[in-house]
Amino acid sequence: MISEVLLSTVRMATPLIFLALAELYSQRAGLVHIGLEGLAAIGSLVGFLVSLITGSPMLGVVAGAAAGILTNMIFAYATITLCAEQIVYGMAINIFAPALAAFIYRVYFGAGSELVQVGLMSTLSQSLGIQSNNFIVQLFLDQTPMVYLAYILVIVTVIYFNRTKSGLNYKAVGEYPKAAATLGINVIGVKYVASILCGALAGMGGAYLTTCYANTYVDGNVAGRGFIALAAVIFGRWTGGGVLLACLFFGFCDALQIRLQVGSFGIPYQFFQMIPYVATILVLALLGMKKSGPKGVGKAYLPEER
Amino acid sequence: MKHTNRIVNLLVPIVSVLLSFVIGCIIMAALGANPATALQSLWIGAFGTMRNVGTTLSRATPLIFTALCACFAYRCGVFNLGGEGQFLMGAIVSCVISTQLGITGLPAIILCLIAGALAGGVWALIAGVLRVFRGQNEMIISIMLNYVATLFMGVIYTSWLRDGSVPQTVAVPDETQLSRLGDLRATTAFILALVVGLLVYYFLFHTSKGFQLRAVGLNMTAAQFNGFAVKKFILMSFIVSGAIAGLGGSADLLGTQFRLINGYGSGYGFDGVAMALIAQLHPIAAIVVAIFFAALRVGSTTMQAATGVPTSVSDIIQALVIVFTVAGLAMVKLPQFRAVIDRMATKSVQKKEAV
Repeated sequence: MISEVLLSTVRMATPLIFLALAELYSQRAGLVHIGLEGLAAIGSLVGFLVSLITGSPMLGVVAGAAAGILTNMIFAYATITLCAEQIVYGMAINIFAPALAAFIYRVYFGAGSELVQVGLMSTLSQSLGIQSNNFIVQLFLDQTPMVYLAYILVIVTVIYFNRTKSGLNYKAVGEYPKAAATLGINVIGVKYVASILCGALAGMGGAYLTTCYANTYVDGNVAGRGFIALAAVIFGRWTGGGVLLACLFFGFCDALQIRLQVGSFGIPYQFFQMIPYVATILVLALLGMKKSGPKGVGKAYLPEER
Repeated sequence: MKHTNRIVNLLVPIVSVLLSFVIGCIIMAALGANPATALQSLWIGAFGTMRNVGTTLSRATPLIFTALCACFAYRCGVFNLGGEGQFLMGAIVSCVISTQLGITGLPAIILCLIAGALAGGVWALIAGVLRVFRGQNEMIISIMLNYVATLFMGVIYTSWLRDGSVPQTVAVPDETQLSRLGDLRATTAFILALVVGLLVYYFLFHTSKGFQLRAVGLNMTAAQFNGFAVKKFILMSFIVSGAIAGLGGSADLLGTQFRLINGYGSGYGFDGVAMALIAQLHPIAAIVVAIFFAALRVGSTTMQAATGVPTSVSDIIQALVIVFTVAGLAMVKLPQFRAVIDRMATKSVQKKEAV
């Protein structure tokens, strides 16, 4: 049973890692983005459709990323160029993107159609033809390429932000954009790059849900993961490693809840489903006042004010 | 100058609505429907007959409550995104009281409404306490509480108060249901929503406490230096906004919903936020926007029947309105844009003076 929960933890943590990295790249450039839920919704729908049409879940993920980028460009233009309030606009994306996803689904499949299913991405051991019930083999080989990609991205992120000059410049934009600008850093450019990265990662996180996790698309399938990822970034103290640990923790809560539902013990299953959400609240409550996020987060940057 | 600001702030949502409808019409045309017929059936569906007006107003009622909830909280700088959870907690408590305690009629109604408001207020207070005393992000907390409330409602209608084989609760007894306004489908819940809206408006703009609350929302540090009890105001705005949403849940359950079922209340919280933002946090404007949103929803069913355009087109139009309005309001605050408006304003003043 423990091995079962651990295997499922890896699976449940993966979309959270993508979404939390999306938030991390956005916030490190000073853009707080509460619209991840919406970006993931559109990513999951487009990923589903493309994977259904082409038969390739990989292409689905790529398309999901593209859809995430396109949608996030609306957010980027409004918050960076028009200096709209980021929280308010994130909320607008949260309303707009799921509505768009639901609309495309209705138009494509027609109202009242039966549930359409799609083939899932095969795991590494499936493609290699390995079959084993060994826990270690399952943990390391019986995973979709998306899982490996998530961990590679975490390592790349840690190295980028801590070991490269470009990463330090990027962080400077989130900390103190005016100082960054006087050093010759293109603040607006970095913020747009951040939005592209954020859109792509969030779109992939959403596409994971329909190409690797569940074989159908239903409205609301992101189920608050965008907001849990936001909590994971705070919990992980805005570092790649911390975010990974936070996502694994929340993934574990999700895995535990699924396992406990099977056991049921006569308790209504909804109480188990509450576990990830309650855990998020408890973690934030225990975390306390310490704030170590980028200092320029949430503030608009007007070059004219220099 | 203040005058021009007002006009611009009114123009932005109107232009946004028009733009959204233009895009909506393009989508309708792309789907092979005649946009003119579609819009006409949308209008008839929403306001064509008195019956339809009643349906629209009854659909608007819960939306007004969640919009007022968002208005009140944001005026104090509190991002309460938990309107949905607070709404549901109000509905759940009312459902339990009206179906389980054996009391009916007016006493039951009053008890339900008070308990519903309390439940919503307490549910919001969880996020408020964590924000004020633990410095936590109230947005994430209140959204997590939405999911918890939705799941808790699930426990009620699938296990604890399940009515036979169908996953739903028993209906509120006839004597405890709110009375209808004439033959309209809208009930006294709609009147209650209007009254709450007026009260919120009066409190925010015509009392000194309301002024202080708005000052806290505009600049927390400055309000603190002025000696306002900032923490108290923040906690209070959590409780009151939650209570408004909870009262809404209670009134909607007694007025039109009657029983808890799967999917009830889904999206009401975020809709409320959207409406409050389009209304620029003005309670009376929020009521108008809520009726507009409800009209789009009710009318879209008729539109689907008449032209085959799916109802989700109206969701797209609503979403576009919020996307355009928020962007537009930010745009008119940009220095470049300000300069243009100011120049136009001075010119018109000069013209008047010349005449």
